[in-house]
Amino acid sequence: MADNNEKPLISGYLMSTQLLELNGCVRCKECMNWCPTYAVRPDRPEITPMYKIAKLRELLDSQYGLKAKLFGPKPLNEGEMTKYTEDSYYCSTCGVCGNVCEAAIKTVELWEAIRPNLVARGNGPYGKQSFFPKLVRADRNPYQAKQEDRLCWVPKDAKVEESGKISYFAGCTAAYRQQALGVATVRILNALNIDFCMLGKDEWCCASAMVRTGQRPVMKENAVHNVDALKDRGVETVLYACAGCLRTASIDWPRWYEGYIPYKNVPLSVYLREKIRNGEVEYKRPINYKVTFHDPCHSGRHIMHEVGRDWAFEAPRDVLKSVPGLQFQDMVRSREFQRCCGAGGGVKAGIPDLALDMGAKRVRDAEETGSDIIASTCPFCRRNIMDGRNAIGSPLKMLDEVEIMAQAMGLDVTIPENPYTKYQEQDTIVCEDVCKLETVTRKAPGEDIVGEAH
Amino acid sequence: MAFYTLGLTFLIVIALTVVVLAIWICGLYFNFKKWGIGSTGYQDELRHSFWLFVATWIHEAFKDGIWVFIRTLILDVFLLRRTLRRSPTRWIMHMTIFYGFLSLAALSGLGLFMDIIEHYDLLGLTPQAEMVKDAMQLPFDIFGYILLFGSTISVARRLLLKDVRDNTTSYDVILIGGVFLITITGFYAEWIRGNAFLVGDVFANPIYAPHFALIHTVLALALFAFILPWSRYIHVIAAPLTILANRGGE
Repeated sequence: MADNNEKPLISGYLMSTQLLELNGCVRCKECMNWCPTYAVRPDRPEITPMYKIAKLRELLDSQYGLKAKLFGPKPLNEGEMTKYTEDSYYCSTCGVCGNVCEAAIKTVELWEAIRPNLVARGNGPYGKQSFFPKLVRADRNPYQAKQEDRLCWVPKDAKVEESGKISYFAGCTAAYRQQALGVATVRILNALNIDFCMLGKDEWCCASAMVRTGQRPVMKENAVHNVDALKDRGVETVLYACAGCLRTASIDWPRWYEGYIPYKNVPLSVYLREKIRNGEVEYKRPINYKVTFHDPCHSGRHIMHEVGRDWAFEAPRDVLKSVPGLQFQDMVRSREFQRCCGAGGGVKAGIPDLALDMGAKRVRDAEETGSDIIASTCPFCRRNIMDGRNAIGSPLKMLDEVEIMAQAMGLDVTIPENPYTKYQEQDTIVCEDVCKLETVTRKAPGEDIVGEAH
Repeated sequence: MAFYTLGLTFLIVIALTVVVLAIWICGLYFNFKKWGIGSTGYQDELRHSFWLFVATWIHEAFKDGIWVFIRTLILDVFLLRRTLRRSPTRWIMHMTIFYGFLSLAALSGLGLFMDIIEHYDLLGLTPQAEMVKDAMQLPFDIFGYILLFGSTISVARRLLLKDVRDNTTSYDVILIGGVFLITITGFYAEWIRGNAFLVGDVFANPIYAPHFALIHTVLALALFAFILPWSRYIHVIAAPLTILANRGGE
C-alpha cells in the first residue's frame, strides 16, 4: 500500500487518529454555519472544513482505498492538488469548526498536520507565506529588523532586568511595529513594582507562522533557543501580551523542546487581574468610552483546554471591566464562538484580500454593540481589524487592553524615538484633561515583506 | 422460522450470518489498516500499521485517564452531547435512529440465538425460547416505532427545510433512504407475519410473510456489512471512535 507517485500525498505529520478523523466527519454542516472564511466567501463551499475533509478523504482513498488496493493507486492530478492546496490555505486556523464539530474533530491540529504534507509535495505554502522561514532564519524576526534593536523602544527611565523570576516576552510585533503595546506593558509592570526581565536580542520569533503554514523545520531552532534563553535567566513565570506568542510557547514549543521546561506561561491579562484583585492597581483617571472585546483565537479557543476558560476568556474581560468609566459590551459572537478577525493561519500574508474582508466582518460585529473601541490582546488581530476598519471606513478604534489600562493608571506611554518609529501604525488613546482616541499613521508604508507574521 | 423460504435452510442462514459478520470484520480491519498509515505522534514518521493504529487510539482515548474516557463515552457517544448543543431536533433524530437501530439489531441477534436454541433444542429450552421470542414482540414494536420516528424526522427535514434540502446529496439520500426503507420493510414484515404487538394479525399473510422478512433482512445486512465499512458511511463507526480518541473534543 504505497504511493506509486514520486510525490506522495502524505509523507508524515498526520497521526493515525487524524486519518480516522477524516472518516469521522458526519457531514452535519455545522462548521459551515460558523466558518469565518466561508462567511466572506459564500460562493466557495470547498474552503469549508467539511468539504476540505471530504476532499482529502477522497484523495487518500485514491491512494489507499479499496479500489487502490485492488487495482493500484491512481496518479494524483496536480491540478487537483493545486486546487486543494488553495482551499486548505483559505483558512485562518481559528478553530471554531472544531468547537462546533459534532464528531469532535480537532480541526486546528488537523489543518496544521495537512499543510506540512502539502509543503513537502511542493504545493504549499501559499503566496508570501514562503518568505516566513527565510526571513526568520536570516533575522530571527519576520520584519527584517535587527535583533540588537529588540528593546530600542523601552523608555530610558524604565526598569528592565537582565534576568529574574518574571520575564515579559514581547514578541516581534510589539518590538518593531506596535511599540505602544510594549511601552504600556513595561510601564504597568514598573508601576506595580514588579521586577522583570526581557530577553532582548536573545528573544527570537516564536515561529508561530511557520507552524500554522506547514513550514515546521525553523520552529525547532527558535523554540529551543527561546526556551533555553528563558531557562538561562532563571525565569519562573513568562508573561505574554501577544496571543500568538502565548499559544506557540504554551502548545508548540513543548513539542519541540526535549528537556524539562521549568517556567509557567501566563497571559498578561491573567497576571494583571491578580494584581487588580489584590488592590495593587491604582487607577487615576476614567476612560469614558464604550468598549467591546475581541477574543483572539490563539489566546482563547486554542488554549482554553490547556489553561481553562477563566484564563482564556474571563481574565481580559475582568481587566477591562476594572477600568473606571469604561462601559463594557460583549459582541454576540464572543469567547469560544468568536468570529476570527482573519489574520491568523498565514492568511494575512498569503491571501490579504481574504484577511481584509474577514477583518471588516469582525468590525461590523463590533459596530452592532455601539462601542467606540474594540479591545484585544493580540497585535495581529489589532493590525487586521484596523485594516478592515479602514477598508469600510468605520469610526471604531482598535486598542490593546494593556494600553487602555496604562492610560487609566495615568502612566506616561510615550514611545521613545527609535529606528522603527516610522513603521508605527496604530490607534492610540491619548489622555490629558480628557482622553482622546487617535490613529498614528505609518510614515514608511510598504516596507514589510509579509505583513503580520502569525 | 421466518427465513425459511426461497430454498433457505436454517444452516444456510447461520452460514450466511457468519459470512456477513466476516465481511463486516474485514471491512473494519481494512479501515483500521488504512488509518494505521498515519504516525503515532507529532512529528513522528508514517507507520502503516494496523496494531499501531489500535495502540495510538488507545493512547489518545485514555490520555486523560479512565474517568475522562467513561465520561466521554456516556455524555458524548451514548448521549450525543455535542449534537444536543448544536441542534435539539437533530439530537432527537440521531438518538432515536441510533437507539432504535441498535436495539433492533440486538433484538434480532437475540432472536437468532433463540432460533438456534429451538433448532437444536439446546438443554431442552425450546419452550423457554418460544416464550422469549413472544416476549420480544413488544420491544420489537417499540424500538421499531422509535426508529420510524427518527427516520421520519430525517426524511421530513430533507423535504421540508429549504436549507437542508439544498444541501442534500446522493450520499444523504442513500443513507437516509436506506434506513427508512429498512424500517418500513421491517414493519411490513412484522405486520404480514401477524405477530406485531400493536397491530395484531390484521395484515397477516402466512404465505408471503417469509419473503418480506427475507427482504428486510437482506436490506439490513447489506447496509451493515456491504455498505457501511466499505464506503464513506464508515462515519457511523469512525465518528464515535473519533470522539473517544479526542476525549470529547474541543
